Amino acid sequence: MKPSPRVLVAAAVCAAALAAPLLLSEAQVSVYVLLLLAACVVTGLSMLMGYAGQVSLGQASFFMVGGYTAALITTHGRPSWLGLAAAPLVAAALAALIGVPLLRLRGHQLAFATLAVQLILLNLVGQQEWTGGDIGLQGVPRLEIAGYEFATDLSYAYLALAALGLIALITRNIVASRPGRGLRALATSEVAAASSGVPVATYKLAVFSLSAGFAGLAGGIYAFYIGYVAPGSFPVLLSFEYVVMVVVGGAGTVYGALAGATVITLLLQLLNNVGTMEGMPAAAPTVLSYAVYGLLLILIVLFMPRGLVPSATGWWERRAARGAPASDEPDAAPVRDLARTSP
Amino acid sequence: MTPVVPPVVEVGDLVVRYGTATALDRVSLTVGAGELVALVGPNGAGKSSLVNAIMGIVRPASGRVRVSGRVALVPEGRQMFGDLSVDDNLRLGAWRRRGRPGARDTSRVYEVLPELTRVRHQRAGTLSGGQQQMVAFGRALMAEPDVVVVDELSLGLAPMVTAGLAEHLRSLNAGRGLAVLLIEQNARLALDLCGRGYVLEAGRIRAQGSADELARSAEVAAAYLGGPATTAEPGGSGPEGTGPDGTKRGAAKGGGTGPGGAVSGREARP
Amino acid sequence: MSDFLQYLISGLAVGCGFALLASGLVTIHRVTRVVNFAQGMFAVVAGLTAGSLLSAGLPHGLAEVAAVAVAGAAGLLVGLIATGRRGTSAQSALIVTLGLGFVAYAVEIMIWGDNPRSHPGLGGSVQFAGAFVQKQSFLVIGVTAVVFAALWLFFNRSYPGKALSACASNPYAARAVGIDVTRMGLVAFALGGMLGGTAGVLLTPMLPISYNSDVLLITNGFAAAVLGGLNRPGPALAGALVLGVAEAMVAGYYEAAYQTVVALALMLAIMIWQSSRRTALQEETAR
Repeated sequence: MKPSPRVLVAAAVCAAALAAPLLLSEAQVSVYVLLLLAACVVTGLSMLMGYAGQVSLGQASFFMVGGYTAALITTHGRPSWLGLAAAPLVAAALAALIGVPLLRLRGHQLAFATLAVQLILLNLVGQQEWTGGDIGLQGVPRLEIAGYEFATDLSYAYLALAALGLIALITRNIVASRPGRGLRALATSEVAAASSGVPVATYKLAVFSLSAGFAGLAGGIYAFYIGYVAPGSFPVLLSFEYVVMVVVGGAGTVYGALAGATVITLLLQLLNNVGTMEGMPAAAPTVLSYAVYGLLLILIVLFMPRGLVPSATGWWERRAARGAPASDEPDAAPVRDLARTSP
Repeated sequence: MTPVVPPVVEVGDLVVRYGTATALDRVSLTVGAGELVALVGPNGAGKSSLVNAIMGIVRPASGRVRVSGRVALVPEGRQMFGDLSVDDNLRLGAWRRRGRPGARDTSRVYEVLPELTRVRHQRAGTLSGGQQQMVAFGRALMAEPDVVVVDELSLGLAPMVTAGLAEHLRSLNAGRGLAVLLIEQNARLALDLCGRGYVLEAGRIRAQGSADELARSAEVAAAYLGGPATTAEPGGSGPEGTGPDGTKRGAAKGGGTGPGGAVSGREARP
Repeated sequence: MSDFLQYLISGLAVGCGFALLASGLVTIHRVTRVVNFAQGMFAVVAGLTAGSLLSAGLPHGLAEVAAVAVAGAAGLLVGLIATGRRGTSAQSALIVTLGLGFVAYAVEIMIWGDNPRSHPGLGGSVQFAGAFVQKQSFLVIGVTAVVFAALWLFFNRSYPGKALSACASNPYAARAVGIDVTRMGLVAFALGGMLGGTAGVLLTPMLPISYNSDVLLITNGFAAAVLGGLNRPGPALAGALVLGVAEAMVAGYYEAAYQTVVALALMLAIMIWQSSRRTALQEETAR
């Protein structure tokens, strides 16, 4: 039996992801770790946007909550594995809690509400003594699990990879499950989904808190890897960056999330290298990265609204089905089109 | 069957597509100056696409739409500017002629539709369906059109109200030589009012001819005059209620009182 | 008591700035159904432009008006990109305006750098019932009153204004009578840009502004606008004044750091309260 192209692609991606840390320089490995952590957050956000049809402009707040949870637990002398385990749980619990009132909102209202939540959290965290105020929490010890200390960049790369693998598996299984099909209906029309018996509110809350849990897990790893957390590490712009990654990669698919995180991270790194070249003004890296974020976001939304991965697979399938009557409708909005992330 | 007067609306081999779905397939029709023409057909036949193509709201895939003179639309479902007053609704009807002296003078509409004078300062959204349909008429008249396209005159209105509106249409046609393209699900109403008609089905013209011919045609009668399409008209329930003799329709362009009386008489019999 | 009056008036002034911003959001949303995330950017652009023009020697008044015109042009540009392409949904347009905000960041940093800037407004303060109040506060309140009156007249008394309202009320009918709804949307965007710009030139002397001030400005503007369902300028004005005063009171009597928390919490509470009176069906059919 020949393996399907799908399996081959998955195997290739896994192999490349596993081999990459060994081939990269130390500085590149640290970029790779951050890329993987972003991919963890983006996978959750992608599910929220592609399946529950909702945009969160505050996803970095759950990343932050994960980071602070891990840092607080560990700096108070508790074992670091407990910090890592608690990070996703606390983030998911917080999301479940605020999700009850928040998810009554839709579309731009929810977008602004999640943005407001992050601004509030940033403000509060910056004021409290126990969170270290604006300076944040310094000296987070290295992660230690069962006597093994994660000390090198390489070890964090594999840790982040393991986390991302776990997240991808969970997401994949949910998408393929019965609730997953209900969720897909949800993105198209909440009313239609509800009238065909999908428990809309419960599903939305579940996806919201699951995506927050993913972000929290990534935040926990981030805290151990970087060694400190501060409000300045989790700006609102980080949330926007995650949205850009989802939109670029294509909402609602694991591969889209991976592609989005990879493309944006690499692009930013490239721009950073260009911007810091000799003769460039000091502001060049910032200017370049903002310009590219903006332009990419605009161009993708206007000209490739499904994002890179769905557009590419669509093109591939059309090519494969050549000769068959053209059944694709590039103009009609596909279910996962951003246009359908319903208000 | 070919109108002897020069056409104000000429649609030739019109094709309209949405994505891969074809809404109109080589549709041709004409409306002569001062003529009353009916276009009947069931839901989803492509009537709205035709309206939108004539009004320039959708772009045809191929074929031509030629309108000589001004065309104004009385849209399906009245489409009021609900937050604005009746007077403002009327004034906005003159948008295409803005800048011309007196373009926004609404008094000429109140002369033709005196029923509206009473409610001129009321918000259009608060009016009854019949009143709104009249505002929609008035709004179209403000454009000083040579032809009006009336999209679903009777939809959602009581038969009595529809009859009154039909009467207004007829006298506008008779008094001012206003050409009318009446697009209707209620074929009986349309064929009573108009001299000529077309039957649109699944994006194609299935039949055309004088209103008598169409009303007499067994096919049309079975499909539209006795069928569910006439549910808006409680009076005409059975196929035996075929249209009255054709003399009325021939007179459509002349004085409209006689046939109008006949129509309203029939329509008003609940 | 004099403290209270001082907080009240400066709060009203800041609230007026939010109100101008919110009225821009409302104008654009009414006509195009787009929630313009770049609304705060208009204020930033105008505030920074006015500062540059003033230091280039332009007199007060002229510099501010020119800056507002620049913001209007920015609004037109945002509208062209966000709604110019056929078939762009309102949700996609929101994301596009978010992207335009990023592009604006790049441009602003290139021109003005990334430090907060301010420019002198109406200097000095007056004693008013025992309180010292900045003259600029009165200027902001006065200008806002004039602008809102002009807006009301425009939308309710002028023919083009009514055509704009008509697009908001029933786009299909507007198209049927020959109103170019897309072009009207661009007019709304330009108007929204000018309103945001007015907020920017008035607020900058009171609160120094930098390229990323737009996030707080847009959230406050949105918070105010959401009170009127993003469609009604009246409630937006009221909401903005309440926000401004509440923030000033929190800052004055309690802790300046918490003022935005209060404003944001208020916005969340209002939105959630409003949503409890609305169903998904209503929203989907109103789309």
